[in-house]
Amino acid sequence: MSDKYFNPFASVDILVPAEFKDDFARYCQTGGRAVIDYSPFPRMVDLWFLAVCVAARKGLEPAEMDRRDTYKIIDGSIFSSDPWRVHTLMLIAIARSDEIGIVIEPRRMMNLANGLATAGFPHVIDMLKDGSAEPIWNLSEAIELLEREAA
Amino acid sequence: MKLIRAQFSNFRLLRDLTIDFATDPKRPLTVVRAANESGKTTMLNALQWGLYGDTALPNGGEGMRLHPIDWDAEADGGRVPIMVTIEFEVTSIRRSPTGFKETRKRYRLIRSANEDVDGHRFNRTQSSVRLFALTDAGDTPLPQPEAVIADELPFELRDVFFTDGDRALSFIEADVAVSTKRDRVQRAIRSLLGLGVIKDAMRHIEKTAVEINKAARKLGGSEELGTIANRLDQIETDRERLIAELTDVRSSHANLDGQIVDIDRRVTAALEKGDREKLASDIASTRKEIDKIDVQLEAAVKEHAALFRGIDLARGVLGTALAPAYAKLDALYDRKEIPSATIPVLEDRLGLGSCICGESLSDDNEAGASRRRHVCELIEKSRQADDIQKMVTALYFGAKALGPSTDSESRAFREAFGAVVEKRDGLQDLRDENGRKLRALELQLDEMPDTDVANLRKARREFENQKERVKYREGQIDTQLSGLGSERAGLVERRDSLLREQSKGARILAELEVATDISGVLRRSYDRITSEELAKVSNLTNEIFLDMIGADPDQGALIRRAEVSKEFDILVFGPSNRKLDPDRDLNGASRRALTLAFILALTKVSEVEAPNVIDTPLGMMSGFVKRSALRKAAGLSSQLILFLTHSEIEGCETILDEMAGKVVTLTNPAHFPRMLVNDPGTPVRQVLACGCNHRSHCSLCERIDDETVASVA
Repeated sequence: MSDKYFNPFASVDILVPAEFKDDFARYCQTGGRAVIDYSPFPRMVDLWFLAVCVAARKGLEPAEMDRRDTYKIIDGSIFSSDPWRVHTLMLIAIARSDEIGIVIEPRRMMNLANGLATAGFPHVIDMLKDGSAEPIWNLSEAIELLEREAA
Repeated sequence: MKLIRAQFSNFRLLRDLTIDFATDPKRPLTVVRAANESGKTTMLNALQWGLYGDTALPNGGEGMRLHPIDWDAEADGGRVPIMVTIEFEVTSIRRSPTGFKETRKRYRLIRSANEDVDGHRFNRTQSSVRLFALTDAGDTPLPQPEAVIADELPFELRDVFFTDGDRALSFIEADVAVSTKRDRVQRAIRSLLGLGVIKDAMRHIEKTAVEINKAARKLGGSEELGTIANRLDQIETDRERLIAELTDVRSSHANLDGQIVDIDRRVTAALEKGDREKLASDIASTRKEIDKIDVQLEAAVKEHAALFRGIDLARGVLGTALAPAYAKLDALYDRKEIPSATIPVLEDRLGLGSCICGESLSDDNEAGASRRRHVCELIEKSRQADDIQKMVTALYFGAKALGPSTDSESRAFREAFGAVVEKRDGLQDLRDENGRKLRALELQLDEMPDTDVANLRKARREFENQKERVKYREGQIDTQLSGLGSERAGLVERRDSLLREQSKGARILAELEVATDISGVLRRSYDRITSEELAKVSNLTNEIFLDMIGADPDQGALIRRAEVSKEFDILVFGPSNRKLDPDRDLNGASRRALTLAFILALTKVSEVEAPNVIDTPLGMMSGFVKRSALRKAAGLSSQLILFLTHSEIEGCETILDEMAGKVVTLTNPAHFPRMLVNDPGTPVRQVLACGCNHRSHCSLCERIDDETVASVA
């Protein structure tokens, strides 16, 4: 990332409801020893981010996070190497809140993203499971279909 | 540590021999010149036996005779005293009021054992070792000589400090499993860095945490706390047991890998004759092809997974979901609210004292002052909105890649996925085809009327089955350990919360937190030191190796670089970063140069002052590579002791003139009259030493030249 770029989420936590802990362990390669065809996501944040995008695409309502039992997978500093992810989260926040001013409220934007990810997880897990092949193929085909529908 | 002198008594051919070693830093090389069968390897073994005892001998010394083979028990007695004496000096540096002070201490180590000889049988007593500090006041015996040796020349690093040209290849040889080679490299590097101390500290902290947990159990007041502490105790016991079992299982895994590789080697050797040669070559090339495809397949699968972290995925999934946000940004842009440039323009006008419409902004008249106040108010308002504008401006220009897409962008994920599918399917077809080919070739092999090969293949299958079982158990233990880890984390959290509720608990909790923190710091230090030092060893190995073989990557050399990977593999790369197999793709000279470079780099990086004693390191080398390897090795080692044959010395005389502080020549009298000019006149088999250097000879060591020997033969 260039020096000019600023990551507003650097110190904000990415949270996931505890009920999805096993799914993260199963579908992410974090921790090594994973068979990629069965655990297609290189990192936990990749699964989280896809869930945010799926929820945004499907127009899902963000889940209420305050009263949920959650755990932190990582903080937003992980986006420092992928500025486009920061932009995506900001654009989703603007689109959802209809407020330009939200861009200077990283916690509010992340709270929205965490809520959307939580709403999107069941859909992503369905995408991984639905099909007769290994999760990597099921997921690839589901995304291909989404992209085709959008075109 | 530097070796000063060694004396050998009744150690095989070394009945009575004394060698002085070079200790001058400017000429650190000692050359022991000796023809084959003249005691070079014996001396290498004797030095190691002196320092480490029987464990340093081949096969732990089991069944290995140490006394001279022609020992006359009737004349000289049935008990043979065997003794090796080694004098060495150790440099230590300590702080003094005036800075650092370097002191050199000299020691004499004496190891002795007796062998009772009865005809062809013999029995060796346990060796005893004594160590003396040599000072002006006399020789003082020291307790625990093994501890001093372990500090100065750790046994684990024996392969680094004492080696021969062939054994050095053990770091790269193809005939052992990858895991075995990695283990050797890893062990050498970790021992050199003294990481044992950190490991010990980690074990100590773990034990301490268990003790603190016991204290929590005794705290009373809560039944649940007691139950949790008991369970944590049990978990620690189970973890220790499982970790020990996992170590055993992994060791079995490595052994089985080794046995499988050994069988493959034997099968290949058995097939390399007559009509089977082609079949052996077909099987080997098919296996090689399969290995190559497997590597490509693995890369393609990783490429596939990488799709799930890229921008194309986000674009494909989001579709038009971001359109409302872009509409807002575009509207701001159209209204010229971004990019934010209002404040600089207004400030500029204030500075000039006139508005862009030409009206005065001067304080000198009331109209101007009023306009000036208005402009100041505008600047203040703009400042408040500035933070948002800055972010939005960055977003507007930075997020264009995610914006409304072109036709090709809108199918970027599909295209990337299509390419991955094509690659994976193509490679899988190739893999299947080669697998079928290999099975057919193996079937042909099984049907060959060669029971030996058939049995070997049967044994191989059995080993493969055993390996599968071992791998299965490895997986089970891993799962159990992971389960225990999760359970422990939950229990620790609950225990800590219970402890917080009790007044005495706070102290125990604090102790537990300290133990956890220290454990974390030690773990991170361990990992960091390992990886940083590994990089240093890797870079220096590369530098020394390329220098030794004269490879200049800028001049299009075939060998571009060498590397010690994070997985502890010694790798060599050719043009286009193509990986070369050190054992198969390098010639004998380069292989030896590579392992020598690794050994020298290890010694250098560790900053350990220790001798490198190497038997016949220059065999298979000639010309430039030989001279360059010798010069480099002598320049890098703090004390280099080389056992060289006459032919290894040939062509290197000028380097020895410059760098050899001591040269001694060993002669085996049994070589007269076929290889020696004069009769040494000794009736017993023993190696004799003279002070002749690489350019001279005397009546004892003068040899009949090779051509004459050949013509006589």
